[in-house]
Amino acid sequence: MPKDDQKNKKGFKFFECTRLIQPTGRKARDLTELLSCIEIVAPGVIYHHTHEYYLKASIQAPEYPNDFAVWAAQDLEERALAEKLACLDLYAYRDIESVRQVLSKIIKSYLVENPQPRPVRNGEEFFFNDAVTIVMESGPEAKTLPSFIEALRTVGTSSIYFHFFEARMRLQRPSDDFSIWLEQDLDRPDLAQKIRKLDPYLYSLEGLRKEILSILQ
Amino acid sequence: MQGISAYSGIAEPEEIRTLIRLGKRLEGRSFLHVNSTTAGGGVAEILHRLMALFLDLGIAARWEAMKGDGPFFDMTKKIHNALQGQEAEITTQMWRIHREVNESNARRISLDADFVFIHDPQPSAFVLHRKNGLWVWRCHVDVSRPYLPVWKELESYVRQYDGAIFSGAKFAQTLNIPQFVVAPSIDPLSEKNKDLTDQEIRQALEAHQITQDKPILLQVSRFDRFKDPVGVIKAYQIVKKYHDCQLILAGGSATDDPEGEEVLARVREAAEDDPDIHVLLLSPFSDKTINALQRSAVVVLQKSTKEGFGLTVAEALWKGKPVIGGAVGGIPLQIHHEVTGFLVHSVEGAAYRIRQLLHNPEWGKRMGQMGREHVRRNFLITHEAKEYLSLWVALEHGGERVIPI
Repeated sequence: MPKDDQKNKKGFKFFECTRLIQPTGRKARDLTELLSCIEIVAPGVIYHHTHEYYLKASIQAPEYPNDFAVWAAQDLEERALAEKLACLDLYAYRDIESVRQVLSKIIKSYLVENPQPRPVRNGEEFFFNDAVTIVMESGPEAKTLPSFIEALRTVGTSSIYFHFFEARMRLQRPSDDFSIWLEQDLDRPDLAQKIRKLDPYLYSLEGLRKEILSILQ
Repeated sequence: MQGISAYSGIAEPEEIRTLIRLGKRLEGRSFLHVNSTTAGGGVAEILHRLMALFLDLGIAARWEAMKGDGPFFDMTKKIHNALQGQEAEITTQMWRIHREVNESNARRISLDADFVFIHDPQPSAFVLHRKNGLWVWRCHVDVSRPYLPVWKELESYVRQYDGAIFSGAKFAQTLNIPQFVVAPSIDPLSEKNKDLTDQEIRQALEAHQITQDKPILLQVSRFDRFKDPVGVIKAYQIVKKYHDCQLILAGGSATDDPEGEEVLARVREAAEDDPDIHVLLLSPFSDKTINALQRSAVVVLQKSTKEGFGLTVAEALWKGKPVIGGAVGGIPLQIHHEVTGFLVHSVEGAAYRIRQLLHNPEWGKRMGQMGREHVRRNFLITHEAKEYLSLWVALEHGGERVIPI
């Protein structure tokens, strides 16, 4: 796994990952309960519900890109709130605690205008989950830009997910792993800057792969 | 038995790569599964196929079924129903029998393994006899709203495991041990799911005096009240006024399900000698027949009122069939409403959706295509095997959130 102190190493190791969902046993029946839980659950839970969308093998992308927004729309039937939650700009925040605060602020503000939240029916509660990520090396180390491009073409989509989302939000790296390596070890800050300008939250993983490849080629 | 290489071209390549890597990490280690029956029901079916995959990956996998007499399985069926929300009185004496039967089985079976999976409530008290390794309780039942006195008693065993697995997040409980969500799966290469020729399908139907001259509605499931076979007949009777169709209710019996005969009698009574209702009591070795029935159907139903997961939904979707299912348990994970089928809440809802699909078969075909892809990505046996091995690694790294291997 690339580490922050790996500055002197020249190669880039691609990693693929698999995630295992861990229910916390917590659930919310209405907006007040959702807010209470958001304020106390482990950071991994907030991460899971704001990032699960990207790794899910869905045949049809959900209407909104995070679980809170989907639940607000489909189960609570609070469309205006769903839109506010969907608009959450995850890339603007460096850590999960900031995301938690913004979520909390959005919901509190909505509750001021709509103080009597409706409960959902049994079985439609919001179930809070965490997840464990297992990370595995994928293929040989890339040491040049062409070999990096070649590897990027063939790795699984979970690798894109890991190096972009997990690296930044869960492993607290300053940015995605690709741009760190391109800048620090390949001396290509121009490419790194272009990749950092991408908003990964607006792409599917395949779409993100294509976009990075088009920058690198 | 098929090894991992047989799934290339079917499962996602990344999934196969991950499975092989996890297999290498755990090669030579021992993995024991214990459940309550070797034939009948989804659990036995999955275990049968999972063993082959784990062995091919170099893991010393072993599967043992506990033994019990009639009164024991009568009692565990009550526990099963109570976990699904039905009120039931399980006396102190009954729990004592449960512990004693578990103890005698635990003495008979070698429990020496690195990783032990105990499936469902029947062998749950095996944990009192654990020797070594990590122990996980795998729950296949819909425990979203259990009858609490029974759950509390069972929970005293569950808390002694190292982890618990449920088929959906909504079944999770407040426990002192790590919980995981793993969906069950189907094997696309098994007798029940592999491709069949038209001739094979025709022959299988003819063996049961069924022709394909009228559209076939089908529900495959054990004759269990929670599968609501009588509700399916009522829905068919509503549809029959508008469409000349036939209904097949096909189910086997499981050795751990003593209520099957009673439910079957009610189903036959509700069928009222209608020649277009075929009630088939299939033997445990009827996988090819079930495969043929599912492939011959125009609409498949799984109108359960409680459901752990409902693997028959994934089986039908894999065969490109639209499925109408009760919006309970694990069924909504498989049926994306109006995408891979319809979720319904009543007999009338089921009838209306059947009428829609009979009226517009092209819609059903499109749903079937989406359903097959949904199963391929999420509910193939390679996926479940990968989840189990990941879980093994995760428990060995207790508490770590990102685990490099």
